[in-house]
Amino acid sequence: MFLGMLGPGIITGSVDNDAGGITTYSVAAANYGYPILWVLLPSFIALLVVQEMNMRMGACTGKGLADLIRENFGVKITFWIFLGLLVADIGNTATEFAGVAGSMNVFGISKYVSVPLVAMAVWILVTKGNYKISERIFLLFSVCLLSYVVSALYAHPDWRQVGSAFIQPQIQYNKEYLVMVLGIIGTTIAPWMQFYMQSAVIEKGTTMEDYKFALADVVIGCVATVAVALFIMVACASTLHANHVTINEAKDAALALKPFAGALASAVFAFGLFVASVFSAIILPLATAFYVCEAFGFNAGIDKRVEEAPQFYTLFAAIMIIACGIILIPGAPLIQITLWTQDINAMLLPVVLISMQLMVNNPEIMGEHVNNKLQNAISWTTTIVLIIMTVLLFILPALDFFKSH
Amino acid sequence: MKLFLYFSQTISLDVLDGKGRWVGRLFDMGMNPYSDIYPKATELIIRRSSWEYARIKWEDIVYIEHEVRLKVTVDQIVFSRETPKCDFTLRRDILDQQVVDTDDQRVVRVNDIYLLRVENQLYAANVDVGLRGIIRRLGWTAVIDFLVSLFNPKSSYLSHDELIPWKATQVLPKLGRMKSLLKLDVSKSKLNSIPPAAMADIIQDLDIFVRVSLFKSLDGVLQNKVFTDMTLAHKQELIDQLEEREVADLITNIPADEATDLLMQLPRDKSRHLLGLLGSETNKKLRKLLSFAKDSAGGLMTTEYLYLKATATVAEGLKKIHDNINFPGTIFFLYVVDDNYKYLGTTSLRRFFNEDPQKLLLETCYPENIHVYTDDTVEQVALLLERHKSSSIPVLNDQDILQGIITIDDVLEVLISLVWHKYEEKL
Repeated sequence: MFLGMLGPGIITGSVDNDAGGITTYSVAAANYGYPILWVLLPSFIALLVVQEMNMRMGACTGKGLADLIRENFGVKITFWIFLGLLVADIGNTATEFAGVAGSMNVFGISKYVSVPLVAMAVWILVTKGNYKISERIFLLFSVCLLSYVVSALYAHPDWRQVGSAFIQPQIQYNKEYLVMVLGIIGTTIAPWMQFYMQSAVIEKGTTMEDYKFALADVVIGCVATVAVALFIMVACASTLHANHVTINEAKDAALALKPFAGALASAVFAFGLFVASVFSAIILPLATAFYVCEAFGFNAGIDKRVEEAPQFYTLFAAIMIIACGIILIPGAPLIQITLWTQDINAMLLPVVLISMQLMVNNPEIMGEHVNNKLQNAISWTTTIVLIIMTVLLFILPALDFFKSH
Repeated sequence: MKLFLYFSQTISLDVLDGKGRWVGRLFDMGMNPYSDIYPKATELIIRRSSWEYARIKWEDIVYIEHEVRLKVTVDQIVFSRETPKCDFTLRRDILDQQVVDTDDQRVVRVNDIYLLRVENQLYAANVDVGLRGIIRRLGWTAVIDFLVSLFNPKSSYLSHDELIPWKATQVLPKLGRMKSLLKLDVSKSKLNSIPPAAMADIIQDLDIFVRVSLFKSLDGVLQNKVFTDMTLAHKQELIDQLEEREVADLITNIPADEATDLLMQLPRDKSRHLLGLLGSETNKKLRKLLSFAKDSAGGLMTTEYLYLKATATVAEGLKKIHDNINFPGTIFFLYVVDDNYKYLGTTSLRRFFNEDPQKLLLETCYPENIHVYTDDTVEQVALLLERHKSSSIPVLNDQDILQGIITIDDVLEVLISLVWHKYEEKL
């Protein structure tokens, strides 16, 4: 029974550790070392709270988040949320292809080869593939994430320091540090994930009777997500930070690991990045096209033919083409694109979280399963803290700007 | 005075009282779905602020134009913190919700509602499910129309509203509310016009809770047909949500081979439990079918067939068909057996319909004796059916006792999934 309910939380968690996530974790750990590890704890709590709400909403209503937003907030709000989501996800997808390009680069393969090849493979898998194949590929992917454990162990970390980073967090009070902290939490809780999580719960047919199992799945998923993040950070902190190597990209981390942890650790790290990027490059455009169609009442789903669901396939193709196009432009500002995408994600997050809070507290939607006082205390705190952090993320550069003028 | 207006354009209209003072904004419209062919607006819900709502009876309205004018004065209106309880309102229950378009047999989302004005009454005449509806809600009609006409003046977008008439619009039950009789009464008339196979598709497009309540609102015969047409995965999901008694009824009433397929797919303890709930006859029948390998002739066959003894005449054959006109299996073929149920031959309605009523049925049987055995493979069954251009074939055990029959649709089902399987492997 439990194994049957296992799934949505773990899948969402794994998709969460995508190219963007790996980049943020490795850059943070390379720059700040073990002491920044404590951030994973609040990340974990926020992730757990948000995913539990998504799971409960899905189990209680049987409807996707896109459906619920449309049905409860009307066309206008839905339109702007989904326009934001669409733009952010084009950026996110571009980041995934950047991950593909970067990781293949480590193995000496040019991005002009790897990106089009992967894009074509994704296209074929989505249009010609089926659930069984996708599931197998997913399982393979989850196992591949274990490669970070290998990388971390090869890096011979000092586990005592890792432990003390959690028990006695050392917090720095400067702008760069805050941005890094926000980056880590932001990449752990991306807006599109909420949509993905809820759809996965519905796909699974979870209802409130299965709540306990579904909750266990969410917890396991969150633990797995944060554990993988931890190993990535440990691998980078114990080698790159210890040797004062700073990096800008995940692929730099893979390259920089070589002299300190050996060629195998480096290759394994790059391989993990590649698999994670490819997997998210499949899920992201597909999921985005699906939510947009869901919200506006167009036919959607890979079980439909192109003539049956033209908007769905158009959107999917457009996201893929634009995302790959951006990456293939010679000298494209990849890091800049990643940052912009994070900004859009950050702007979108409060809107999505507040919509979720309003709906999860509405008895007309949730019946008896509205948030109780404790849940509300935790979830509003999480929401408000995330919003404050997001606002800070925008105010800080502005303050800088005024100071320097 | 406009003959029609869009509901989206009435939302947020200013509401003024009898002395022209501002009362609030129009928020929602309560309807009486039983009134005429079209639901008739019976009251307005107005909103002064996010915590002040009031209901206005239709008799108290002077007009609804660019603003709403009331007969009453503002101090006569009672505001409350929550939206007034109405059975059925446009904004809450129709706008932005999913409905079934019973003409085109699909699930659609309502972007706007087209209101018809007759003698100062408003009726919900059509629902708008097109792109124009979305653009109108965003307030971009003028801009988008201009842009489209600039590039393609003949675009169908400009002139074509995608409207569904109310009589072809089936409102779906919403969670926690509207589970009232309204749903059931309305649904019966509209949904029963949809063929079961299309209905199965529609039901599969809905989310699980709506699926269950819509399914429950169908009448028993339609339920059985729709259930038969659903995919195995959806069948399983549905029975998880139904009560045991309902599941037992379904399994008893759908064709035995379909029931067997479903039971085979379920976890063992669950299918055992279900079998225990069935009547002894169905139970026995299904247990027997379950004992055959899935893709063997025994696994494919159904035990629902019409048979007669060797002494039966053409008249008795006709009577047999007449008496079983609602039989779930095929009635075009009759199978003739001896006193020990040993198979003797097959005859069809076509072969004996015009024969002398006193003639023995056995004499009208097909000259060649085509049959398969319970452990024959699906390929053998398919080959035989094709070679003899037949649509069904009897299944015997090793003592030539008639066990069941296989009809061509059962074979097709397996072959199609085999073909798909091969296709998948090629990928």
